[in-house]
Amino acid sequence: MSAGEVVGAVVASLVQVVVVVVGAPYLTGLMRQVRARMEGRAGAGVGQPARDLRKLMAKEATSPEGASWVFRAAPLVLMSTVVVLAAAVPFVTTVTPVSGASDLFAVVAVLMLGTVALTLAGLDTGTAFGGMGASREVTVLALAEPTILLAIFALSVRVGSSDLGDIVEGALATPSQLFWPASLLAAVAFAVVIVAETGRLPVDNPSTHLELTMMHEAMVLEYSGRDLGMVELASWSRLAILLGLGVNLFVPWGVATSLAPAALALGVLALVVKVCVLGAALAAFEVFMAKLRLFRVPELLAGSLLFALLAVTASFFLA
Amino acid sequence: MSAAMTTIAATAAGPTGVASVQLLDLLCGGVLLTAVLILWRRELAAIVRLLALQGVFIAGLAALVAGAEGGVAGYLVALGVLALKTFVIPAVLRRVLADSGEARETEPLVNVAASLLAAALLTLLAYVVSQPLVALAPSAATRALPVGVAVVLLGFFVLVTRRRALSQVVGFLLLDNGITTTAFLAASGVPLVVELGVSLDVLLVVLVLQILAARMRTTFGGTDLDELNELRD
Amino acid sequence: MIQTGLWLVALGALVGAAAVVVAPERRRHVVAGSVTALVGVGGVLAGLGGLGGSTWTAVAPGLLPLGEARLAVDALSGAFLLLIGAVAVAAGVYGIGYTAPGGRHAQDLPAAHDQHLPDAAAHHASPAASRTAQATVPLFVAAMLLVPAAASVTTFLVLWELMALTSLLLVLTEHRLRASVREAGLWYAGMTHAGLVAIMTAFALVAANVGGESFDAIRAGAADLSPTVRTVALVLVLLGFGSKAGMVPLHVWLPRAHPEAPSHVSALMSAAMVKLGVYGLIRVAFDLLGGAPRWWGLLVLALGCLSALYGVLQASVAVDLKRLLAYSTSENVGLMLIGLGAAAVFAADGNRVLAGVVMAAAVLHAFNHAAFKTVLFLGAGSVLRSTGLRDLDALGGLVRRMPVTTALVAVGTLGAAALPPGNGFVSEWVLLQGLIHSVGPGGSPVVAVSIPVAVGVVALTAGLGVATFVKAFGVGFLALPRSTAAAEATESPLPMRVGMGLAAGVCLALGLLPAVAARPLDRVLGVLPEVRSIDPLADSAVTLRLNGIAGSMSPLVIAVGLVLAGTAVVALVRRLSRGVPRRVAPAWGCGAIERDPRQEYTATSFAEPLTRVFDDVLRPEQDVDVTPLAESRYLIESVTFRQRVPDRLEARIYPPLLAAATAWGRWSRRLARGSVHTYLAYGFVGLLAALLLAGVTG
Repeated sequence: MSAGEVVGAVVASLVQVVVVVVGAPYLTGLMRQVRARMEGRAGAGVGQPARDLRKLMAKEATSPEGASWVFRAAPLVLMSTVVVLAAAVPFVTTVTPVSGASDLFAVVAVLMLGTVALTLAGLDTGTAFGGMGASREVTVLALAEPTILLAIFALSVRVGSSDLGDIVEGALATPSQLFWPASLLAAVAFAVVIVAETGRLPVDNPSTHLELTMMHEAMVLEYSGRDLGMVELASWSRLAILLGLGVNLFVPWGVATSLAPAALALGVLALVVKVCVLGAALAAFEVFMAKLRLFRVPELLAGSLLFALLAVTASFFLA
Repeated sequence: MSAAMTTIAATAAGPTGVASVQLLDLLCGGVLLTAVLILWRRELAAIVRLLALQGVFIAGLAALVAGAEGGVAGYLVALGVLALKTFVIPAVLRRVLADSGEARETEPLVNVAASLLAAALLTLLAYVVSQPLVALAPSAATRALPVGVAVVLLGFFVLVTRRRALSQVVGFLLLDNGITTTAFLAASGVPLVVELGVSLDVLLVVLVLQILAARMRTTFGGTDLDELNELRD
Repeated sequence: MIQTGLWLVALGALVGAAAVVVAPERRRHVVAGSVTALVGVGGVLAGLGGLGGSTWTAVAPGLLPLGEARLAVDALSGAFLLLIGAVAVAAGVYGIGYTAPGGRHAQDLPAAHDQHLPDAAAHHASPAASRTAQATVPLFVAAMLLVPAAASVTTFLVLWELMALTSLLLVLTEHRLRASVREAGLWYAGMTHAGLVAIMTAFALVAANVGGESFDAIRAGAADLSPTVRTVALVLVLLGFGSKAGMVPLHVWLPRAHPEAPSHVSALMSAAMVKLGVYGLIRVAFDLLGGAPRWWGLLVLALGCLSALYGVLQASVAVDLKRLLAYSTSENVGLMLIGLGAAAVFAADGNRVLAGVVMAAAVLHAFNHAAFKTVLFLGAGSVLRSTGLRDLDALGGLVRRMPVTTALVAVGTLGAAALPPGNGFVSEWVLLQGLIHSVGPGGSPVVAVSIPVAVGVVALTAGLGVATFVKAFGVGFLALPRSTAAAEATESPLPMRVGMGLAAGVCLALGLLPAVAARPLDRVLGVLPEVRSIDPLADSAVTLRLNGIAGSMSPLVIAVGLVLAGTAVVALVRRLSRGVPRRVAPAWGCGAIERDPRQEYTATSFAEPLTRVFDDVLRPEQDVDVTPLAESRYLIESVTFRQRVPDRLEARIYPPLLAAATAWGRWSRRLARGSVHTYLAYGFVGLLAALLLAGVTG
């Protein structure tokens, strides 16, 4: 790779970061708006989360007495993982400035790192809610892990590599593979995992503040001001990242395989359209869902594990 | 990879061509998916709907095989399968369900998460045991044979772990669907007469079980099979 | 270099132990710690020499009763010499502080109160500072270091037993303080000797059949061994070395002995000694016997999955910090065994590229585990010394009282939770890469079924590992202190921080620059010709790249990316927030007037959802006592809730075995009537029988 290409790839990565982080509040706004309209409410508009964010960023942050540096560092760590993921995952283009960051196992591990930072912060507050949220979050995380890795396994069999760039390029080269049973089963498994990891219905309810049902919100209850802003932005961006990852793995069309400006522009457009459609669909789906009891969640994850395992087996036996 | 598969498929009987192979795989995937969902759901009404859906997939499979073989008999079998598995049997089951008034949920003996994991292992087992069969005559159809075997095993699993009489019937029907799927995939269809005979048997069994369930209800006030223990001296 | 190192090990241990014995009491801990570290340095030197590619052999005829003592160092030995030596350096330096006067670790733990000698504990220094204990530590380290250098059956067995006996002595150090120590010692002695018998039988069988007891002779004659001998030997070494490694279901001594030993000894045992079981398996199955058959590989794979899953499950619900770490050792050994088993399977299938990758993953994981487990056990020791507590439910708030220890433990925790940029993640990544590339069209169905299950197990293990270490770190070190002892904790003395710092530094180095290990790992695999065909890891500065399969990952890039992103975020937030200061305010006390540490989640409550999800496997014992007020039974004065998660696997397997052993012992007691004549007669009959047997068969 020449120096010019490296610069181009770095620029492309920055474009991805900007698109994801700036677009995430509007994606959340869109999803809330879809939900509101379907429930017969007017809704606050697509821009409301962005406005909330601006307000939060200018406000004072508070730490509970007795909380340590972990509590203050967690939003930063979470936000850093988000930025790294937005740069490394092939959202707009499969060309990355440095190899070795876009391996799917590494991507999942970095996602987990962000979650772990938040759970530690939840415990660090020393309140009952923080501990409760952390405990539940970690349980779901642990049980979702086998599904994620097996889904990655199934996808990697197709191209012989677990690198995201390779997987997406492989799918672009032979689109018929996407309709094979292995891909479809892996897509179902992945969808369940996305729902679980981003704390959406039916695993967690993002709009609840009822102490007995919440997970994510319980962990971040003590955050305020700019800390809360960062945490909120990070969780919206994680939703955008996971949705983007999902669409690019299973509907890769539009992703640029070069650094040509036109291809990049098309890539951005395709990403925005695909993620918005998927996000709206997820919001519509949520309207019809109730939150599962916490101890029914393992059933859901066991089911998705089964799909992932079948995907692996199918990719081998039916190939 | 797909080119290699087409050449293999072309040498053996059964559907050929990439499109029909993919359709076959999709239909088999549907059969397996519905079987797994039957294990997952608790509501009996939903399970009956899933059974009907599975019937559609199996009928599609039969039609696909018939198309590859040529001849009208195959299509007749497919129609028969559709009528029986998608309309008649689910209708009978729905009537039992409506009559019973209780037993809306399956009450499994093993919890759902564990039975899903068991299903995963059973499917893997099905893959392993059917490999020698696939090796006998490799083709796109026989390659999907493990799906049939897996559905048979899942049917048995449902029979073993479900408590209500109606869910036992579901297990039995799942077992039968598995056998039918296996037959279509392995033998590229069964003679019309054999299929007719088997289907009538199944219908008969379902009716008998329905009567049994009704009798049980009048005798014990419920259809919990564990209560049959009392019949033992 | 190898020779210098090994001389340093042997002489350092002997002279050092003597020095410890004669040293005055107030200097003893310094002498003992320095000597241990020095022996460790010897091991590191010899290990680096071996890994550098040189080999070395020494024969001392007539040193041992049954034959010569034979030592040899190759790259495989070198790897384990380096590992053990490095752990010993950290533990030695740490020991200077840990066994120094002061601290609460020698107090009677409230949980296991014993009827006698509580006063003795209060008035005396820590038993770990006694002459015997201090002099045994360097001997134990030297015995461990010489085991991988042994090159004949007799030498190996003598050193192995020496290692077992010295470690047993160390486990029993605090036996006057707690009854549980004695029980742990008994279990450890029983398991380790049962293991020794298995290993000895296997070696005797093989040596008798090849007609020589040096490892060279076995290597040369292994090809001509009959399948039966091979099978029996492979099963026996799996049992013997598996019991040392903490493989489930032979793990029962681990969660007992590791918590009860003094903490620097726990670190030595858990991070170093356990690895010798893995070493033994690699040496015998892959080197001496020249490769293992497929069924053995599948068996090891299955046992590895069982160990990993069961270990992490028990760790995730454990409340005793050191017990948690001990179970986590079982888990990590399980991951190594998955690597070994998969290597045997792949090699038997002829896919030696992948066999090399997974074997490299197993060896790399041994190093990573040694590094982070040293930090964590030493950290647990610091907590124990400072608070007298191992119970997570009573800890908390240490981040303010012990900031350095907490930061170092955080590094170890990151490694143990297998999160980037921790070191555990790297080896798990290599293992997963090796596993996922094994499945493809045309492979064997058994592989196609077992490998996905293994990947699922590794994934669940990783997930539960995260839960375990979030609990250990979050509940143990963060939040508000849950007891006065935790609230009064003080930072550890300097040597302890240095010891932990050394190990934490190794964690960071292995986590960020794993590619440095590529060359040495290639040399290690070069010892195993049945496994390796090409170098599995490419030698690249920043990125870890796998040869032969597509896979590259760069922990350094990820770490640098995180730091850059963090800096950018901080700068951006500073600008947006326009310098509004942070305020510290009381958290909401849930309607109570004041926030009380009793409102916090404890380790038990943190693990409750997992306990409930895995209820069928764990089967916790719970009792709830409700004490009503005298006036009305509807008004409650207090509720006590107690939960214990016993080791169900142990309860299933061991009582019948122990009962059988007891019955057999009772029966054989009838032979002992107390008459000397009878005993002489037994001997005479035995001699006659042996002679007759020799006459008939000879």
